[in-house]
Amino acid sequence: MLAAYVQYWKINLLTIAEYRADFFMWFAFTIVYHGTALAALAVTMLRFPSMNGWSLREMFFLYALWMTAHELHNALFFNVVSVPEYIREGRFDRFFVRPFDTLFQVLTVPSRTFPDGFILGLVTLAIATHVAGIHVTPFTVLTIAAVLCGGAGIDLGISLFVAALSFWLIRVDTLRWIVMSLEQDFTRYPISIYTRGVRIVLAYVLPFAFMNYFPATYFLGKHDAAFGLSPEVGLLTPLIGLLWTALSYAFWNLGLRHYQGTGS
Amino acid sequence: MPFAARAAGASAAKNACVPLIVTRDLRKVFRNAKRFPGALGALRGLFSPVYEDRVAVAGLSMEIERGEFIGYIGPNGAGKSTTIKMLTGILVPSAGEVEVAGIVPHRKRRENARNIGVVFGQRTQLYWDLPLVDSFELLRAIYGIPQDRYRRSLDAFIELLEMGDFLRTPVRQLSLGQRMRGDFAAAMLHEPPILYLDEPTIGLDVVAKEAIRTFVARVNREQGTTIILTTHDLADVERLCRRIVLIDHGRAIFDGPIERIKNEYGRERTLVVRFTETTSAPTIPGARLESVEGMTARFVFDRATQRVDRLVREVSDRYSVEDIAIEEPELEGIIRHIYTQGYAGEERSA
Repeated sequence: MLAAYVQYWKINLLTIAEYRADFFMWFAFTIVYHGTALAALAVTMLRFPSMNGWSLREMFFLYALWMTAHELHNALFFNVVSVPEYIREGRFDRFFVRPFDTLFQVLTVPSRTFPDGFILGLVTLAIATHVAGIHVTPFTVLTIAAVLCGGAGIDLGISLFVAALSFWLIRVDTLRWIVMSLEQDFTRYPISIYTRGVRIVLAYVLPFAFMNYFPATYFLGKHDAAFGLSPEVGLLTPLIGLLWTALSYAFWNLGLRHYQGTGS
Repeated sequence: MPFAARAAGASAAKNACVPLIVTRDLRKVFRNAKRFPGALGALRGLFSPVYEDRVAVAGLSMEIERGEFIGYIGPNGAGKSTTIKMLTGILVPSAGEVEVAGIVPHRKRRENARNIGVVFGQRTQLYWDLPLVDSFELLRAIYGIPQDRYRRSLDAFIELLEMGDFLRTPVRQLSLGQRMRGDFAAAMLHEPPILYLDEPTIGLDVVAKEAIRTFVARVNREQGTTIILTTHDLADVERLCRRIVLIDHGRAIFDGPIERIKNEYGRERTLVVRFTETTSAPTIPGARLESVEGMTARFVFDRATQRVDRLVREVSDRYSVEDIAIEEPELEGIIRHIYTQGYAGEERSA
């Protein structure tokens, strides 16, 4: 399995080398994408010196935390979004006739994936940590790494859940779109600015708040104004990521049994 | 992988009398939401879905021995692909039993996968953007094929399937014939004891078809690979298979050697007579005139009741004959007859 994984990355690198222009365009797009989000944040904050007690520097850290976890997910697990398409077009069949776990095979379909966004995220996060004035110890580095992994796990868990639904419902594009925009729009600001209903969704239903809001309150030593929870709650992120991934994987396996192919 | 192949071989040797593939009353029922016409209908389907059951395989029992080459044929929608998908572990059967090399495919999917190679003619297993050889490299890693053995089989495939010219071309740029050859190599790289071919020659030109037929015949003969072939091209079956299983409406309606179906249905022979002059409405006692075209007439007779030498004598006594030929019925004609008229013989005689 490890050999296959190494081979997968080797092929990705070769493919990227072959389609360099495409790769650089994607990389430029990633920079513009996150740059725009950060610029919008800065413009907003010029008008309000603080938002619910969060300064621009702190919100920069908030964004960088989400961005890095999300880009880690994109580098390792992005292909989960292709599952509904594979099923619809009958290309999913091939994963059943090879001697590996189907999910592992989905994640290792050669593509032009490269951890460029993740590397960009790490750089941004390092700058943001410095700007936010967080005192960095080896322990901080370890906890941030664990939170990033947990955040990527939350992303994976949720996208895997949506993908597994497509074993029953052939089209899940709308749902995927809703979840994606929820994630993009509601991870930029501290969740305490939203109404109670939204806060509950972000903390307990689709726990995007654990990708950045709760861990950020811990690292920045801030009071959680959303639920009044202790900042240590932010350290639960790895656990929640693991839980979501495990539950979605079980659901995925249930879906495999239900697989009907294209029905022909 | 060689380990798994040996394991499968060992377990088969242990139960030498147990067939390699067994199905017993195998069934598959697809359940689909029924669609209602119009926008209101779509709404109704959303809130109170009504399901329709479609029986694809309706109680299939068969046994396949090691080393056999089976032609699995039937009209569109007869249940061929569904059967293959249950044998490969893609689909979970609705009822009945299935065992392949001692393994229930959908329960131990990954173990089963090591024993089988699959070629779907309509869907490539190769990676669209990668050169063929990269797909092969990835498969080598997936099956854990040792480097020296991989080199050896790849070299053999390159030669047999004449792939040398397009090994480094991205799959999307290959012609269908080249792609299919790549698919065959990809399915056989790990030297599986069982090979499933689902319409592998569909849309291919005669040269590519011939290359692939030669290849699979050789694999079956030299490596003893058990092959199950579904196809609509009966020339494939006639050329390659010793036994056919004929399936219709999800049930096997014939299972046996090709000669038997030919004997049962092929009692009729055609006597083709070419006269030296235009002859209208020629007759021969004991044979039925099928058609006259210019100076050539075709008579149909029953091989069991009429003697050929007598018919030939009769026709040359009556007319001035330039040439005579006797045609045997082709499998295609027989199968067409069964599809339209049904099978008259005893059901599933083993």
